[in-house]
Amino acid sequence: MRSVFKVVENRLESEWTHTIFFDEEIESRPGQFMMVWLPRLGEKPFTLSYPNAVTVKKAGAFTEKLAAVKPGDEIGLRGPLGQGYPPLKKPALIGGGVGIAELRLLALASEAPSFVLGGRTADEILFYEEFRELGPVHVATEDGALGHKGLVTELLPVEADSYAVCGPERMMAACLPKLPAERTYFAVERYMKCAVGLCGQCTCSGWRVCTDGPIFPATTVAQMDDFGKRRRSKSGKWEKV
Amino acid sequence: MIPLPEIEPPLINASGILSYPEVFAAFESAGACLGGYVTKSVGPREKPGNENPVVVYPPEGAVLNSLALPTQSAEDWERDLEEIKLKNAKLIVSVYGGDSREFAGVTRRMSRFGDAIEVNLGCPNKEPGEQTIMESIGQNPALSAEVIERVRDETDKPVIAKLSPNSDYLAVADSCMSAGADALGCGNTLGPGLAVDIQSRAAILAGTTGGISGPALKPINLRMTYEAYARFGCPIVAYGGIETWEDAVEYILAGASVLGIGTAFMRKSTHEAAALTRDIWEGVQEYLGGEPMSALIGAAHRPADGGGSDA
Repeated sequence: MRSVFKVVENRLESEWTHTIFFDEEIESRPGQFMMVWLPRLGEKPFTLSYPNAVTVKKAGAFTEKLAAVKPGDEIGLRGPLGQGYPPLKKPALIGGGVGIAELRLLALASEAPSFVLGGRTADEILFYEEFRELGPVHVATEDGALGHKGLVTELLPVEADSYAVCGPERMMAACLPKLPAERTYFAVERYMKCAVGLCGQCTCSGWRVCTDGPIFPATTVAQMDDFGKRRRSKSGKWEKV
Repeated sequence: MIPLPEIEPPLINASGILSYPEVFAAFESAGACLGGYVTKSVGPREKPGNENPVVVYPPEGAVLNSLALPTQSAEDWERDLEEIKLKNAKLIVSVYGGDSREFAGVTRRMSRFGDAIEVNLGCPNKEPGEQTIMESIGQNPALSAEVIERVRDETDKPVIAKLSPNSDYLAVADSCMSAGADALGCGNTLGPGLAVDIQSRAAILAGTTGGISGPALKPINLRMTYEAYARFGCPIVAYGGIETWEDAVEYILAGASVLGIGTAFMRKSTHEAAALTRDIWEGVQEYLGGEPMSALIGAAHRPADGGGSDA
């Protein structure tokens, strides 16, 4: 059911990224998502970065508005929804861009995590200091401002018991052949409407991302012909990933 | 009259639920007990539908949706349906348009893909500035008949006229049957209804109002099924709140020969949804106890044993 929460803090993480804290913690499995509703403006899926926060990158009208909320403002939350990660042992958490935020609760719930993080520049490597206290952190930035100069995929493979990947789809598709499918999980993203398995809009090769995912084992992702290639837009018309 | 294709088992999804052929194929692979699948309503031109939120589920057993018929163009639908085929299940293509000419144009393109054509006369949702199909066509017997007549001209497949429960549906059905419909769809979502958030003091759905589905719809569409069967005795595809085998049996006894499942798939993974369809069908079969389903279609209309006479 939908509930309305009060914003208690809007924390600037980087030039484009804000973490929005609200007044109540939500019990969810890492990887599950919430539909965040701004009354009269819209509703979009986010994975919690804290039990009481989502991290948002400004990328369009809705995320601009969400990034601009102030303490005292109200936001609606529907969820938690979808399938999260199974418990992971010694996982390497591989994140790209704002996808890094979605790995934070998984990192805290995992035993002995390590991190492989990528972004355009140092600013995009969210929670860098915090993650360094949890385990080894490997970083790639496209401008070389932090860590390896280049793409996160160039840091793979790394040694770990399991792998969780969350980032832009083309980055994830590049990771797919480099990781052991039976121990790897991907966070798949599609345009969502109902978010509860009814409308089919978030299909990825027939899997409804909202209820079959958004976390999928790599063995499933390997069967998704559309992954990394095409997705349905708001109208259902195909567009390139 | 053209008979409906044999849909075995006689369970399908409701239009606007699951929606796309690749999702149907995934359900088929997962062993869903659905003998047919209905596409999302195909419209004449690309349209995004309403902004989110498009769904709200107050706790009273009702789900409100205001998707408002998002669609890719009929040409893009042709490409999709050429690319993705079902193994065994039948395909029903749902069509809509703003007027009878548009309905006919979409039907012309879709006819070769469908084992049947379902004509959406009752969608109660709209984007801002539009009129709903329910208001502009589905509540009007003459305009509904005109749509069915033009669709009939474009296809040799069976035509299902899907009615709005928010209409004088027997009058609409009467004119649709005269215009060449082969079966009735009983029916679309109800309403539309409204949900208001008391904290933000805003209508929750971006489209303000939304069609009502789920358990709250069942007694209404069950009645529509019952009345339509009594009047026309034609094949009826029934929708509305079917979540258990008991719900399905009620609809069969009222007169349905095909049963559509929609809101019951809410929050279910493909495997869970497939299991639900198997549970429903196994329950129906057990209830039938070896009798053919046809023997029980409309059985609720028959007088009790002994003719019901007290004399």
